[in-house]
Amino acid sequence: MAAISLRKLNKHYGSLFHAVKDVDLEIADKEFVALVGPSGCGKSTTLRMIAGLEDITSGDIRIGDRIVNDLPPRDRDIAMVFQNYALYQHMSVYDNLAFGLRNKKTSEAEIKAAIDRAAGMLGLHELLARKPKQLSGGQQQRVALGRCIVRNPEVFLFDEPLSNLDAKLRAQMRIEIKRLHAAIPTTSVFVTHDQVEAMTLGDRVVIMRDGRVQQVGTPLQVYGKPANKFVAGFIGAPAMNFVTATVRSDGGATTVEAAGLKLSVGDAEARALGAYNGKSVIMGARPEHLALGEGASGLGFDARVEVVEQLGSEILLETRVGSHGITVARVPAETVIARGDQVRISAQPGRLHFFDPDTELPITG
Amino acid sequence: MPIVTRPDFLPGLPKWSRKTLFALALFGICFAFAFPVLWLILTSLRPESGVYYVHRGTEFTLSSFAEVLSDERIVHAFINSALISTLATFFSLLVTVSSGYMLSRFTGPASRIWFGTIYVFRCVPYISWVLPLYFVTQSWGLYDTYTGLLLPHVAVHICFFSWLMKGFFDGIDPSMEYAAMIDGCTRWGAFIRVALPSALPAISALAVLCWLFTWNEFLFALILTGNHVPMITVVMAQFVTEMGLRWNLMAATAVMALAPAFLIALFGQKYVIRGLRI
Repeated sequence: MAAISLRKLNKHYGSLFHAVKDVDLEIADKEFVALVGPSGCGKSTTLRMIAGLEDITSGDIRIGDRIVNDLPPRDRDIAMVFQNYALYQHMSVYDNLAFGLRNKKTSEAEIKAAIDRAAGMLGLHELLARKPKQLSGGQQQRVALGRCIVRNPEVFLFDEPLSNLDAKLRAQMRIEIKRLHAAIPTTSVFVTHDQVEAMTLGDRVVIMRDGRVQQVGTPLQVYGKPANKFVAGFIGAPAMNFVTATVRSDGGATTVEAAGLKLSVGDAEARALGAYNGKSVIMGARPEHLALGEGASGLGFDARVEVVEQLGSEILLETRVGSHGITVARVPAETVIARGDQVRISAQPGRLHFFDPDTELPITG
Repeated sequence: MPIVTRPDFLPGLPKWSRKTLFALALFGICFAFAFPVLWLILTSLRPESGVYYVHRGTEFTLSSFAEVLSDERIVHAFINSALISTLATFFSLLVTVSSGYMLSRFTGPASRIWFGTIYVFRCVPYISWVLPLYFVTQSWGLYDTYTGLLLPHVAVHICFFSWLMKGFFDGIDPSMEYAAMIDGCTRWGAFIRVALPSALPAISALAVLCWLFTWNEFLFALILTGNHVPMITVVMAQFVTEMGLRWNLMAATAVMALAPAFLIALFGQKYVIRGLRI
């Protein structure tokens, strides 16, 4: 049983750099949480503080029922996978796997049994006698995972473990990690800058920026109900389109208008936007919620195609709306379309997001 | 496809002439370096009467070697040099390795002060250390003792080679040590059990450099020792007497003194270069 709890966690480097700011986070036992954000957002520092590799400036870290603020890493009962694998280069794979258990003075027979089990799960049996240098990146990362499993710790920490792998291998390892977590449910914290990894792996996703937590939620929550404009733009690929538009409420109908664009919004949105009549807001629309054609009434607009990205499964269409503003739409791959075409694009009803231009918080009713 | 393409050497020339020029240049440079050594070996094999005519005459003998080896003082000097080099290497590595590690991994005030100190000492011209060291060894009663020569050598090694060691450790991924700390090691344990074995090639290379430094060193040996601790470099120079130069003996001693460096070049070079590349 090991829930992790971070209370008002802060990290200063000298007097100038405040890397992690008042982070509060509760991670339940056996939960898989992904920390995601752009580089320099403090996610790795947070993870390293949980691991004990970095001192904390203020706040508390609790693992299970212990406050671990001042415990050295070796006493926290954690295991960690690093971006560059961090295998002990001078030891064989077997010795790498055995290292932690030998430090705990486990008997060689037990060590062998634990390694057998882990090697079976990860397909490492053939590699046990080799040195890390003789392994491919994917194999090394599997050994690093194995090194965590054999110790049977209370918490797994992952520090961008898939970043050094090529795209195909990354997808495979993602599945492997997911399968591993299902087989050995252990509280896990996974740091990544790749929102796809975060969304696919995490039971919950924590989005960070500039040392602060922006939102904590299930993948569906952070995608569907982003807590601010940053989260809206960060989650989802291609990123959400943002347009600055003016709200016009005229008796019954509410519209949002920008150059070359006039969309009528639904009742719920109209209520939310009531206070913004005549003011500008930031409107967001995800590429997958834009389609070619007229669509629902009042939600269509004209655009000129600038770039056609054929992906085989779909086309990403970059279009110019009005005099400025580039909008990306995802349309079926079979669509016959070329650069310079004039097209009609429509937004799906109820799928538009609105943000306050000053606070960047969502405008909800 | 190579990522970096090298511009051709003298692109105007045809390929064969470029190759010839390259080979000639290579040969010229090698010759310039090898010539004094070859001359030295030739001189050592000539009888005393022939040393001024090394390029002429066909008379060769090993008598200079025999004479040198029968001189107790020279044999003593060889043993001394080997002993001091080995001890200095051993003691300086103990400090250099951990100091290089500290410089590479820690950024606190202690590390900065240490960095500044060895930087300052490194900037001081080597020769200006000698006189103060002479007075210090005199006043401490260490003049012309093993300790009196060993300590300055260890100090110089530390100042000169901590930097190299820092460079080696900079090249070793620290996350390996973090992994060890999570796997149950203390900070020291991670250093000893993980960082140190990974740096072993570099440490061996450094050991060779330290050893050769002391083996070849002349100035400290000249000023800080008298008759009790003869070093080979000093003894070699003592063939220059009022009666004239004993070139053949000096050459024979020098050839023998070259042997360790030569052996390292022959067999250890690959490892030294690999170590330095870490």
